[in-house]
Amino acid sequence: MIPAGALAMTFTVNGTVRTLEVATHHTLLDVLRDQLDLTGTKECCAEGECGACTVLVDGRSVNSCLMLAVEADGSEIATVEGLASDGELGPLQQAFLDKGAAQCGFCIPGQLMSAQALLARNPLPTVDEVHDGLVGNLCRCAGYQQITEAVLAAAESVNR
Amino acid sequence: MSADGAGVSARRVGGHERVTGQQEYLADIRQPHALHVKLVALDVARARILNIDTTEAEQVPGVSLVMTAADLPQPVPRFGPQFQDRPVLAVGETKYHGEPVAAVAAETKDAAEAAARLVVVEHEVLPAVFSVAEALDPGSPLVQEPGLRPDDPLAGTNILREHHFGWGDVDTSAADLVVENTYTFPIVTHFAIEPHGFMAAPDGDGIVIWSAIQHPYLLQKMMAKLLGMPLASVRVLAPDPGGAFGGKQNAKLEPLVAFIALRTGRPVRLILTLEETFQAVRRASAEITVRTGFVEDGTLAFQDIEANFLIGAYADIADRVVSKSSYLGCGPYRTPAARILARAILSHTTPSTAFRGFGIPQLTWARESNLDEGAHVLGIDRLEIRLRNLVADGEAFIPGDTAADGDWAQSVRKAAELIKWDSPVPAGRGRGLAIGLKSGPTAGLSYSTVRLLADGSGVVYSGTSDMGQGARTIFAQIVSQELGVPLDRISVVMGDTAVVPYDQQTSASRSSVFMGTAVLRACQEIQAQLCEMASRLHGIDASEIVVENGVVRLPDGEAAIVEVLQQGLAPLGGELVGNGEMRKQGDPDHPLGGSAAFFEFNCTATEVEVDQETGETLLHRYVTVGDVGRAMNPIQVAGQDEGAAIMGLGHTLMEHIILDESGRIQNLGAIDYRIPTSNDLPLELVSASVENGDGPGPYGIKGIAEGALLPTAPAVAGAVREATGAFIRDLPLTPERIWQALQERP
Amino acid sequence: MSPFQYARPDTVAEAQTLLAEFGSEASLLAGGTDLLVDLRGRRVQPRVVVDLKRVAELTSGIEEADGALRISATSVMTDLTEDERVRHYYPALVEAAAVVGSIQIRNRATLAGNVCNASPAADTVPALLVYGAEVTLTSLSATRRLPLDDFLVGPGETVLEAGEMVTAINLPIPSRPAGATFARVTRRRGVDLATISLSCLVDSDGTTTFAYGAVAPRPFLVRDHSGVLADRGADERDREAALREMTSYASPITDIRASAEYRQAMLDVMSRRALDKAIDRLAAA
Repeated sequence: MIPAGALAMTFTVNGTVRTLEVATHHTLLDVLRDQLDLTGTKECCAEGECGACTVLVDGRSVNSCLMLAVEADGSEIATVEGLASDGELGPLQQAFLDKGAAQCGFCIPGQLMSAQALLARNPLPTVDEVHDGLVGNLCRCAGYQQITEAVLAAAESVNR
Repeated sequence: MSADGAGVSARRVGGHERVTGQQEYLADIRQPHALHVKLVALDVARARILNIDTTEAEQVPGVSLVMTAADLPQPVPRFGPQFQDRPVLAVGETKYHGEPVAAVAAETKDAAEAAARLVVVEHEVLPAVFSVAEALDPGSPLVQEPGLRPDDPLAGTNILREHHFGWGDVDTSAADLVVENTYTFPIVTHFAIEPHGFMAAPDGDGIVIWSAIQHPYLLQKMMAKLLGMPLASVRVLAPDPGGAFGGKQNAKLEPLVAFIALRTGRPVRLILTLEETFQAVRRASAEITVRTGFVEDGTLAFQDIEANFLIGAYADIADRVVSKSSYLGCGPYRTPAARILARAILSHTTPSTAFRGFGIPQLTWARESNLDEGAHVLGIDRLEIRLRNLVADGEAFIPGDTAADGDWAQSVRKAAELIKWDSPVPAGRGRGLAIGLKSGPTAGLSYSTVRLLADGSGVVYSGTSDMGQGARTIFAQIVSQELGVPLDRISVVMGDTAVVPYDQQTSASRSSVFMGTAVLRACQEIQAQLCEMASRLHGIDASEIVVENGVVRLPDGEAAIVEVLQQGLAPLGGELVGNGEMRKQGDPDHPLGGSAAFFEFNCTATEVEVDQETGETLLHRYVTVGDVGRAMNPIQVAGQDEGAAIMGLGHTLMEHIILDESGRIQNLGAIDYRIPTSNDLPLELVSASVENGDGPGPYGIKGIAEGALLPTAPAVAGAVREATGAFIRDLPLTPERIWQALQERP
Repeated sequence: MSPFQYARPDTVAEAQTLLAEFGSEASLLAGGTDLLVDLRGRRVQPRVVVDLKRVAELTSGIEEADGALRISATSVMTDLTEDERVRHYYPALVEAAAVVGSIQIRNRATLAGNVCNASPAADTVPALLVYGAEVTLTSLSATRRLPLDDFLVGPGETVLEAGEMVTAINLPIPSRPAGATFARVTRRRGVDLATISLSCLVDSDGTTTFAYGAVAPRPFLVRDHSGVLADRGADERDREAALREMTSYASPITDIRASAEYRQAMLDVMSRRALDKAIDRLAAA
């Protein structure tokens, strides 16, 4: 039984093992942003509707605002900061740049993580499957078309 | 000619940061010693504040201050871009659901939230006014104290301002057909994915304010006045907004955080929840009655428009929205006689503010729908009736104002072609087509400084706010075009009033034209200096040297700019600095304070299918064509136009803020305020631009990014009507509303 | 949210000891997609949150046993939609599970949670009802199993007693062919809550079963034993009368999502469409 207050937990974030104390009532989103300084993941609706806070937990895309930080104990978390390796952009990031998919950019980390999870499950999705896969990521700037084109282009480039 | 210059779909400047999570939005800025602020508001629309008890709240560990109106300078300071009516905290009464009554500042977010819940606000719920009829009823309560407008004959009413525009004599105009209808446009909210956030910190005798504000210099001016400080002591840092759409143009809670920062002597940080953001900003709703007089052949005899906008509890910039949009209410048509009466009406609801389109979507919804109905009665094709009335390039359509600045018929024909207007409509479907027109700024001022550094790289200073429209990229492309610097060697500095020279504002799609011209002129100053350099180095008269498009043209050949630069700067090194200015003076005799710098013209056409048993619409094809002058960056133009179209589909098909009988918002938050998702797209969405190089900006640019939002609603409604026979005059066209209209069909 | 204690029991017995100790001040946490929204909105303020995800007996996933498919309590929607047996035997359930939020929600939201949250608009419940789902409830003293139809009481209310928790949802493996569909009406095509939802199952013995959601205090079942609905050849007026009788048991309300009138009308429209589709699926089975 953990008293109300701090709990020690260990999890892996973008390949690095982290041990820290978290408040039981803080969400994974809170801890990523406020304690680990990983501000790439964004807060918007805070109730699982907009997808701005999307991260991968053990390979699956989730809304980090709907997870208590303590639930992530022992898990592997992937955030947008982990998509590039050694300064090299990943194929999705590259495609998003090429297709002009980022406008204000605020929804983009979430879109990238959802797309990452989508392509991991379904390497060559159709347009409809991309739409379905990203339906939980709201964008107010774009018509979603350039984001969709970017995901399809990334899929193609990886599978060539 | 630079590879990243005009007309190239250059990589977005700032794109790399956005795809790596490195872009710093306001909430990402680390402010380690900041106090966290949490607002206290009532869960009712309008209430008299009887007493605020902060004792329990103050005792929460970590709480530094609980501020109420009583803790502010008396009388409580008021602010606003048009009228200084909004108090820093509610005074005596909350006038809308969510108006802040108090604010807690504490060491942690948790402490601030806990304390905010312990503030006890004794209050008495009062009847609220939030419909046009109620607001205009002389027996209804007044939203604003008459004492705030002492010399205003309308001060004893809920009408903030009344505007009368027009020409000719509508009442004696002969018309073969008069169509009169009333159309309504709902309350919708911006729903930028980044909620609002504000920070402030004392800075010596001055203050630093962080806000993702679209108008940093107007904020600076306002805060300096409010705090009694010189401009030089007020520094506004404006990070790129995570979407704004007009909702981040004008001050909202910056004054409050500033007062808290000065009181506590600490940096303070306030990040709104999405719900609080919905309560802070919205578009003005409207009830618009249009009487359109037609001659038998479909040409217009007159347009008689009464536009009543419910603007909310404080004016913000809403009256400007009302006047500027209503002035153009007749659209780009030859209208022999016009009468426009527009009212900005106060209501006990969220103060409305600028929102992409600035009142034009509301007017366009009414006018275009009414035009369609006239066409229907007269048996004239809806494309044909528009082409018949559309003014030609260079033709005046509002006496004494800017004439049409484009071949608008070209955009209309292109849209018609892309939707295959002349082909038979497939069974069970309908088509619609509508036109939108908005004016750019009527006055304005932008400065820019450009520095060409010793290694040929460049820095551009621009006070524009890049909220996703790609302003940084446009200005970098101009520098690239003029000085030959590759885009990845250009740094664009924005968002700091201490470092970047003055820019009036980011609004009205003005930045490519106004700031773009300032940047261009700054580059031209540098080109002149390079010319002098080359003249000195080569011993040739300057008049024989031309510097353009990144090269120095000498009588006997060409040299790269960087070559001349490096030779010319030797041996001390240094840099070249150029300043540019774009100024459009207003005209005090003009009803809007100035004529339009340019127009944004859009034609939108759709083909829809309606499930007549459920009312659900399926958009088979959606086409949007804009008259852009020149697409400085085609991929960015497409992105903005497509985004605007989808945003338009939002208010057309699904968005509306729902109030209960007391004026309280019922659908706060993302679960019940629906915006389009990736599954709500038309099956085919096509955006196109007409480029005739006829804009006033660099390379013939016109402003863009609002056009594609303007005629969405009437284009879709027109298609729904063709498919079902039902005329619907209220938005949004939800499945239930369409179904209801079908039930009521004779 | 206000601070609370957090417990992560390893066994059902441990979980139930906590429930016995804390009673109504304990909140069970599985997927969290409803609970965290309630915590944020302070609609629930527990002293302890009991995380069930490491409870051994609850992580068995989806297993076939004794003529039924047993879906353990921590199984998430994505597990269901991807399971071959669920897809084969219960296509209407897959259709329903597939529209519970976005993939981010479905990767966390549990079937048991959707049932226990007992929203009148819970997407999976109509499908579970037509397939004859049963719920296994466990307490420190006993385990019982009852039909889902008997488990749900009203909005947010089930028959769960103090100290009891759901450990599995069981679906009988069909012994004869049937055709079943799920449908709903929403305000937009993207993620949404149901304005109305329904499931229709046409059995090869001629029985037609409907389950309706979001049109009553709880989702409910109605059945036509006469056989007319299942028979396209039967008299059209008889069929229409039978269908109207089915939907007459609904009591939709007007709220911010839709009016009662629209909901009732959509029930009629969607029932007819779902019935047609179910008959087609039976024929194909």
